[in-house]
Amino acid sequence: MALTQVSSNRCAGGFQKVFEHESTELKCKMKFAVYLPPKAETDKCPVMYWLSGLTCTEQNFITKAGSQVPAAEHGLIVVAPDTSPRGCNIEGEDENWDFGTGAGFYVNATQDPWKTNYRMYSYITEELPKLINANFPTDPDKMSISGHSMGGHGALICALKNPGKYKAVSAFAPICNPMQCPWGQKAFSGYLGPDRSAWEAYDATVLAAAYCGPQLDVLIDQGRDDQFLSASQLLPDNLIAVCSEKKVPVVFRLQPVSSNTRLLTDQHDSCMLGLRPQLLLHLLLHERSHQAPRQVPQRLISHHRRCQSPAERPPFPGNQIPQL
Amino acid sequence: MDLHDIRGGRLDVITEEAEELSRESTNMADGGLRAARGVSTFQRFSVDTDESLCFEPCEDGLPSPIGAERGLHGDVFEVAEAESDGVTIRKQLQGKVTEMENFASHLEEIFLTVEENFGRQEQHLEQHYNDVLQTLSQRCDDRAAGLEEEKKGKLEALYKQLLACGQAMDVSKELIETAQEVYRCPDERLFLKAVMPTMRRIEEFAEEQVDLTLATSLEFNTPLANLPDVKTMMDSINIVPVINPQTPNSATQTSLRVCWSLFSDDTVEYYELYYRPVLEDTPADSTCAPHVSKVRVKETHCMVTDLLPNAQYELWVTATNTTGISPASEKTLYVTVPSPPVIKQRECASCPEAALIRWESGNTDPVDSYTVELRETGTGAPESAIAESVVAVPTCQCLIQLQAGRRYLICVRAVNIGGPSSRSEVISVSTTGTLFSLLEDTAHPCLCISEDGFTIFYGEEELPISAMALEDNNAFTRCVAVLGGLIPVRGRHYWEVEVDDGTEFRIGVASEDTERNSYLGANNTSWCMRHILTPARHKYEFLHNGWSPDLRITVNPVRIGVALDYERGTLSFFNVALEQHLHTFQCHFQNHVQPCFGLDNPGALTVHTGIEAPKYAFA
Repeated sequence: MALTQVSSNRCAGGFQKVFEHESTELKCKMKFAVYLPPKAETDKCPVMYWLSGLTCTEQNFITKAGSQVPAAEHGLIVVAPDTSPRGCNIEGEDENWDFGTGAGFYVNATQDPWKTNYRMYSYITEELPKLINANFPTDPDKMSISGHSMGGHGALICALKNPGKYKAVSAFAPICNPMQCPWGQKAFSGYLGPDRSAWEAYDATVLAAAYCGPQLDVLIDQGRDDQFLSASQLLPDNLIAVCSEKKVPVVFRLQPVSSNTRLLTDQHDSCMLGLRPQLLLHLLLHERSHQAPRQVPQRLISHHRRCQSPAERPPFPGNQIPQL
Repeated sequence: MDLHDIRGGRLDVITEEAEELSRESTNMADGGLRAARGVSTFQRFSVDTDESLCFEPCEDGLPSPIGAERGLHGDVFEVAEAESDGVTIRKQLQGKVTEMENFASHLEEIFLTVEENFGRQEQHLEQHYNDVLQTLSQRCDDRAAGLEEEKKGKLEALYKQLLACGQAMDVSKELIETAQEVYRCPDERLFLKAVMPTMRRIEEFAEEQVDLTLATSLEFNTPLANLPDVKTMMDSINIVPVINPQTPNSATQTSLRVCWSLFSDDTVEYYELYYRPVLEDTPADSTCAPHVSKVRVKETHCMVTDLLPNAQYELWVTATNTTGISPASEKTLYVTVPSPPVIKQRECASCPEAALIRWESGNTDPVDSYTVELRETGTGAPESAIAESVVAVPTCQCLIQLQAGRRYLICVRAVNIGGPSSRSEVISVSTTGTLFSLLEDTAHPCLCISEDGFTIFYGEEELPISAMALEDNNAFTRCVAVLGGLIPVRGRHYWEVEVDDGTEFRIGVASEDTERNSYLGANNTSWCMRHILTPARHKYEFLHNGWSPDLRITVNPVRIGVALDYERGTLSFFNVALEQHLHTFQCHFQNHVQPCFGLDNPGALTVHTGIEAPKYAFA
C-alpha cells in the first residue's frame, strides 16, 4: 500500500506527519496523522491510536491537543485517523453533522448506501494497524487506543471486541451506551438497520457486560459541565454500573471546571484545549501499559497496565510478616 | 652514652662522607648505628688508627678538607668509581641521621620520665623524713615532759624530808631548852620532879633514828632513745603506692582491672586494695556509708569482681611489709562498663535507604554515649562483611544510612569512661520496602490494635467514659484513627492496606501534628482515600482539605497500595490486585508525614509493610 506524505513538521523533537493512502476497507482516499517521537529514529516504539469525535478530521487532534510533547517524552507514536470515509459521494452523507461524513461511529455498516464505504471498525482495527506497522518503526505488540466522544466510544468498543489486542484503553467524554442515546440510535439505525440486536455488537456498555478476556484497566475522564452529559448523550453511569457488576476495572473521573488547570470545559467539543493535562495522563496510561522504561516527569503519574497474559500474573501477595 | 660519643659519632659520619671509609670501631656507643653500613670497597685509612676519631667538632658541619690535611687530595676526587658508592653511602648516612634523631627524641622522653620520677621520689622522701622528724620531736617532747614529772616528784619528796627534819630539829631544840631550863632550875625539888621525864623524853628522842638518807636519789632515769623504733620507722614503707588511672576497655559490667605502682625499692609482702561504690546521694551520717571491701594481693594489679554495672567505685591501696603498712594511696575513681541497651523493636522503622533504630538505655544512671554497630548479612553479603560503627550517639535513637535491598544486623552498645558495654540483642533490618509500626499512643480509644501490631479493629462497643476522660493529647479523639511511625526520610515509601469489601475506611498520610480532633482528610494536614458504603453502591473519595474529586471505581479494591514520593510530591493509591492506578494527590510535603489509618464504622483493616514497591507504583 502506497503512502503519500501530505505534510511533515518538526515538533517537540520529532515529526508530525500526515499521510494519505487508498484504503481497501473504505474504498477511498484516507488521510491520517502520525506523530513520530525522537525515539523512533533509533528504536521501535509503541503506538497509540487516537480516535476523534464527531465532525473531526485527522487535523483536530494534532493541532489542538498538544499531544506531541508528552508523546515525545514517552516515546509513543500517536496515530490519529480520520473519523469517516471522505469523498465517497454517498447521498445524504453531508446532511447531518452527527451522521455520515465525520461521524463514522467506528462500525462496519450493514445497510445501504453505507455498507460499501463505512467500515471504520475494520479500518481502525485491521487495515490501519497493518499499514502503520509496515511503514513505521513500531512495536507491533504494543498498541493502545483512546479517543474523544465518538472516538471514545470507538476506543472502548475496539478494546472490548478485541481482548488482548490493545494494551491500554482510555477515553475522554465517551459515548458509553449509544443504544440508549439519540446520537447512537440515529447512527446505528442508519448504519446497522432497525434490529437492535445488531447494535449490541457496537455498544460499549453491552460489550462490557459480556466481556471475557484479559483484564482491562479503563480510564475515563468526563467534564462535569459537559452539555452532552446533561443531554444524556454520553451515559457514563450505565457503563459504570455494568462494569461494577461485572468487575471490569474502570476509573471514571468527573472533572470540574477549573480555570487555572484548564480542565475539561463546558464545551464538549473544545475540551481538546482543556484536556491537555488529562491527555498527558492518558498518554502515560498507554505508555505505562507498554512498560516503556522511562522517567515520568514530576507532575505526571499514570496507572500501570499489565502486558502479561493472565496466566503470568504474579500470585496475589499474601500476608508479609515484616522482618523488622 | 655521653655527649662526647655522640659528637664523635657525628664526626664519624662526616669524616666518612669525606673519606668514604667504613669503620668498625667500637667507639660508637650505639651499635645500632652501625648496622646499616656496608663495607666500602674503598679503604683509604687504617681502621685501627684512633687519630681518625679525635677530630675537633666542626662548627659548620662541613666536611673539612680533611683529606687535604692528611695529604690525600687525589683519592678524594676519584669521582668516576665513587659515584654509585657515594649514593649508597649517602643513603646509609641519611638512615643513620634518622636513627640518631629517633634516638635523641627517645632520650628526651627518658629524660622527662626520669625527671618526673625523680620529682615524685623526692617528694615522697621529703614526706617520709618529715614524718620521721615529727615522730622524733614528739618523742622528745614526751620525754621532756616525763623528766619534768620526775623532777617534780623528787623535789616534793625532798621537801617533805626537809619538813620532817625541820620538825625533828624543832623538837630537839625544845627538849634541849627544856633540859637547860631544868638544869638551871634553882629549886632542887622542882628539878628532881622535872628531870626524870625530861631525861626520859631525851632518851626517847635519842632513840629515834633520824633518817638522814635522802628520800630520793639525785640521779634521773634517762632511758636510751628508742632507736629500733625509729629505725623501723625509717625503714617502713612510706612511699605511697599510686593507683594507675583506669585503662580503657579493661573493665566489664561487673569487674574492674585495677593496676597500681610503687616507686620504691622497698620489699612488699602484700598489697591491700580497698574499694567502695560511690553513691549519688551519700547521706551525711556514716552509718549508711557504703560498705568498704578489701582484697589482698601480692601483685601490683587485681581484678575486682561482683560489681554493679555503670557504677563508680572509689579505690585505694596500701602496701605492707615487716615494718608495717604504708599510708593509703590517693583515692581513685574507676567506672564499670554499662549494661547493654535494649533495642525497642516496635519503635524501629526502615526504608530502602535508611533505618531508624530506637532503644532503651538499659542503665538507671546516664551513660556517656552509645555506639551503633551494623554488619551486612544475608546471601548477597561478602563473608568478611565489615562491621561499621556509628559512635558518640548522644540519644537513644539513631538514623543510619543503608543501601537498598540488603539485610543488616544491627546492635547497640552503651559507652562510658570505663569502656563500651557488651552488645545488645541484635535486630535484623531488611532494606526492602518500608517498614514501620503503628504509633499506639495516637490511637483513638475505640481503636484496638492486634498483638502483632498491624491490624486495627473498631468494635461495636461504646466508648468507655474513662477513656474519654483521659487527657491523652496525642490520640485521635473524633476520627477513629491511628498514625504509623514512618521513618523520617524524604524518599519513596510504599505500603499496602488490606480491607474488606464492607469496611468503611480512611487511609493515606497526615502530618505528625495533624489535628487530633479532626477527621482524616477534612483538614489541610491530611490526605486520604475514603471508602463509603451507601445502600446503593460503594463510594470512593480522595480527601484533602475536605475536598475530593468525583470518581467512580467499578472494582472495589480490597488491597490498596499507597505510594508516597517526597521528591515528586505525590501520594498515589493503587488497586494491588489489578495493578490499577486509582488516584494521585500532588502536594509538596513540606513536613514529614505519617501513614494514617482510620475506620468510620465497625470493621478492621490490616497494614502490610516491608513490601518492595512494584514498578508501577513509582513509575
